[in-house]
Amino acid sequence: MGDKPLTPKSHRRRRLDSDGKWGLLMVTPYIVHFIVFVLGSLLASLYFSFSHYDILNAPQWAGLANYKKLFQEPVFWKAMWNTIYFTILFVPLQTILALILATALNQRLRGLKFFRLAHFVPVISSWTVILYVSDAIFNPRFGLANSFLLKIGLEPQKWLQDERLVIPLLVMIAVWKGIGYIMVIFLAGLQNVPADVYEAAEIDGAGVFRKFMHITVPLISGTTFLVLILSTISTFQAFEQIYVMTGGALDASSAGGPNKSSLVLMIYLYQEGFTFLRMGYASAIAWVLFVILFILTALQVTLQKKWVHYE
Amino acid sequence: MKSQLNKWSALLLTMILLAALLISGCSSKGGGGGDVELKLGFYSSAQSDEKMQELIAKFQEKYPNIKVKTESSPYNQFFQKLDTQIAAESAPDVWLSDGVLVPKYAERGGLMDLTERIQQDLKGDEYYGLEFNKDAAGKYWGVPQGIQIAVLYYNKDMFDEAKVEYPNEDWTWDDLKAAAEQLTKDSNGKYAADPAFDKNKVSQYGLTFFSITEGWMTVLKSYGGGVLNETLDQSVIDSPENRAALEWIVDGMQRELLPTPSDLKSFQSNMAPFPSKAAAMRIGIYARTIDANAAGLNYDVTLLPKGPEGKRFSPVIANSWVINKKVDGAVADAAWEWVKFWATEDEVQKEWASLGEAVPVKKSVANSEQFLSGSPANKQAFLDSFEFAGTLDVNAVWSEWVGKFNDNINRAFEGEIPVEQAMKQADQEVQKVLDEFYKK
Repeated sequence: MGDKPLTPKSHRRRRLDSDGKWGLLMVTPYIVHFIVFVLGSLLASLYFSFSHYDILNAPQWAGLANYKKLFQEPVFWKAMWNTIYFTILFVPLQTILALILATALNQRLRGLKFFRLAHFVPVISSWTVILYVSDAIFNPRFGLANSFLLKIGLEPQKWLQDERLVIPLLVMIAVWKGIGYIMVIFLAGLQNVPADVYEAAEIDGAGVFRKFMHITVPLISGTTFLVLILSTISTFQAFEQIYVMTGGALDASSAGGPNKSSLVLMIYLYQEGFTFLRMGYASAIAWVLFVILFILTALQVTLQKKWVHYE
Repeated sequence: MKSQLNKWSALLLTMILLAALLISGCSSKGGGGGDVELKLGFYSSAQSDEKMQELIAKFQEKYPNIKVKTESSPYNQFFQKLDTQIAAESAPDVWLSDGVLVPKYAERGGLMDLTERIQQDLKGDEYYGLEFNKDAAGKYWGVPQGIQIAVLYYNKDMFDEAKVEYPNEDWTWDDLKAAAEQLTKDSNGKYAADPAFDKNKVSQYGLTFFSITEGWMTVLKSYGGGVLNETLDQSVIDSPENRAALEWIVDGMQRELLPTPSDLKSFQSNMAPFPSKAAAMRIGIYARTIDANAAGLNYDVTLLPKGPEGKRFSPVIANSWVINKKVDGAVADAAWEWVKFWATEDEVQKEWASLGEAVPVKKSVANSEQFLSGSPANKQAFLDSFEFAGTLDVNAVWSEWVGKFNDNINRAFEGEIPVEQAMKQADQEVQKVLDEFYKK
């Protein structure tokens, strides 16, 4: 582009206009889709969140009633805490482990492709399959985990039926499933780090750890930032895993157990809206969730100036 | 340049309109000429779907002017889809509703009041369960498609092995527990009555026990308790009768004669222990005969035990045909023809009964040799139980209050909190759910 001769201004503008129109024409289907299926639904849900709406009857304006109820409802706060707890455990754990894994698999190892593939397999498996695999391990009666505990003389556990263990365990399984995907993103980031920087550091006598901390980490901070945003959003929207693994497959109103200890916001929203037909209240939950995610993302974007380096 | 711009914007507009047209889809209206199109929705398994299609074909033969368009999916998807269809005003004209969900739609104004049609066309005493869809005001919202009613199932082989006498119709819940103690076994083969019994390694439960229908509701009601009042808008949880019943359950669970809710989670499903030979007895609705027969169990059924005062209770769910409130005129009449066809035609009733999913609605068919033969031997127990049958306090917010009740009571079942505390909390939370819907 740079070496093209400069065209006269007017001519250039006309061509751009024509390109612009073509561009506009090409994106029209998307814009229509966006207006009808995204913007339309968004605005509808915003309206529902200010009304009582049970699906069967037309929505009735209710002002702030849904939001008021929301903030006074202990179950909402429990779901909020569970979601935050899940996020606090999941995001750092997955990010750090994925980075270490990606660094390891960025070396010249034998069987490199096999290991990369092996770590990616859980990503493409469905949660239902993973439910069966994890049940083989964590089933309180027949699972491997309890037979192992018994063998080494420890008390058997109830695992997913234990209020204290359920979220850490769900996080562990989610990290195991999600790590391959994040690893691939990190691998792409790592391959953009120029080799000569490492060479220079080696000449200056830097060890493996120092190279990692002072070259790798700062140079892929852009990737890390992306990963943090993506995984925070995905944990706030976590649904399928928890729904499938804590009883929703059998009965929607019992998902999130035991004793609501794994009830996260999305499950709460789903139950309120689709099982109990309080679509207005469920829409209010969705909008509160949106505001939280918006603030979190804005916060991360502000903070990135302090630690993210773009080349 | 200006004309070019106009051309472009015209093209743009055309694209948008075209896309909008595509999206709005082809909302075709049924052709006239006396033909009526009837949208019929039902949940089904592969097997029942086939049978249903056969019966629909018969219906079309009889009523050639009614064109039936069917919509069926597995249970969970069906009701999920139904809710969105109702919101989009594209729900079926007549659909099969789980009995416990009839008031959910009826009380929110989604169903047609069938009181007059039922009184005109159906003789009440010829059918089981018409009353189960009657609300507190005496209105009927559906006609049963098939009835689920609970009895006590028992595995004869396990009773024989433990040398315990089979359950009989005079049993009280305490008799059942005494038998359960002799039938609960650990993985070393020691029974619960044996001091060497290890309750952390139960391999066979005396009685399997799950949630409301095949769990606590029967015990509560036969002890004289219950969850809701007559008009189904007040909680009556905090009562001495309920307390006695719940303590009976908790004691059984603490001794591992009955599985706790978390014990059940280690099975493929909450329904699995009995057919997979991990429980000697179960409270089971009629549909459970399918799994028991498929597993080749040597089993039979009898009436559910009596409470301490001799009271009996058998929970019942009448899965029913309901008609969309939005339909009227010829379509409403066609929908009613279908409902009537289902309930009154002997052939339909017999064909459906042959699937073994439900007790037939028509008494003459239910009491026929065809229904009563086969396994289990004592099918008569299902019919005898109608005498003391009752619904599960089903109202518009049923799933929700059951959830709240379970949340609290399950903690007592797990031994985390005392029964009294669980009852108090359940009482408050259930009342809150009721008030939110009924006190407006």
